[in-house]
Amino acid sequence: MMSLPFILFACGLAAGWTSRREAAMGFWVAGVLVLLVLFRFHATDVLNLGL
Amino acid sequence: MTADLSRLLNALGLVAVDTVLVLAFADQLWFRDLPCPICILQRAGFIAAGFGIALNLIFGPRPSHYGLAILGAVIGGVMSADQVLHYIVPGTGSYGNAVFGLHLYTWALIGFVLIVIGSAVMLLFDRQYEPSGPIPLREVTLPLLAVALLGLLAVANVVSTLAICGVGLCPEAPGGYLIFHENLGLAQIKSS
Repeated sequence: MMSLPFILFACGLAAGWTSRREAAMGFWVAGVLVLLVLFRFHATDVLNLGL
Repeated sequence: MTADLSRLLNALGLVAVDTVLVLAFADQLWFRDLPCPICILQRAGFIAAGFGIALNLIFGPRPSHYGLAILGAVIGGVMSADQVLHYIVPGTGSYGNAVFGLHLYTWALIGFVLIVIGSAVMLLFDRQYEPSGPIPLREVTLPLLAVALLGLLAVANVVSTLAICGVGLCPEAPGGYLIFHENLGLAQIKSS
């Protein structure tokens, strides 16, 4: 699951390389969304800060 | 700024992003410093930011491509800042090796900030968006190599992440390559 953003970005770069810009940007959006979800799963510790 | 100069600067920027990702692999493989889960996500942040620069090189500079680079860098920067804040209080530990006195997540935060600033500065020059004539082969060699290397590094990170984390979420402090112990985590799936 952690490799999914890399897979999506690699697919996006392949789409860009083959001149499919819209598909490339779609893969980028999907990759970023997965990245944010994974960050939500892993950033679970409360920061010990007094702001 | 002409389209030629923009292409050169974008290519150099992407080479810099590629270099960061190569150095991360060097630290992982040479110094056996396994990346933590957030560190892996920061690598993805660098690829997300480099993606926008790569689109500039493939399709020509566009504000939307710089937007992708800035958004990718902001997301990666948030992840780096989160990790920096975890260890910012003296005596609360750290993760991984320090390089020139700073840990990799701190260098990553600096890198993401530089990408945001660089992309914002590049956005200021409107002449780069004007159509240009045919591009000589020698002027596309560096951009193509930089884009190809970014793609290669994305694929390498797929393999590396699968080896460290298997097919599920990563352990918080990876002690080794899961691929050598858990058969890619497939055993966990079968047992569940």
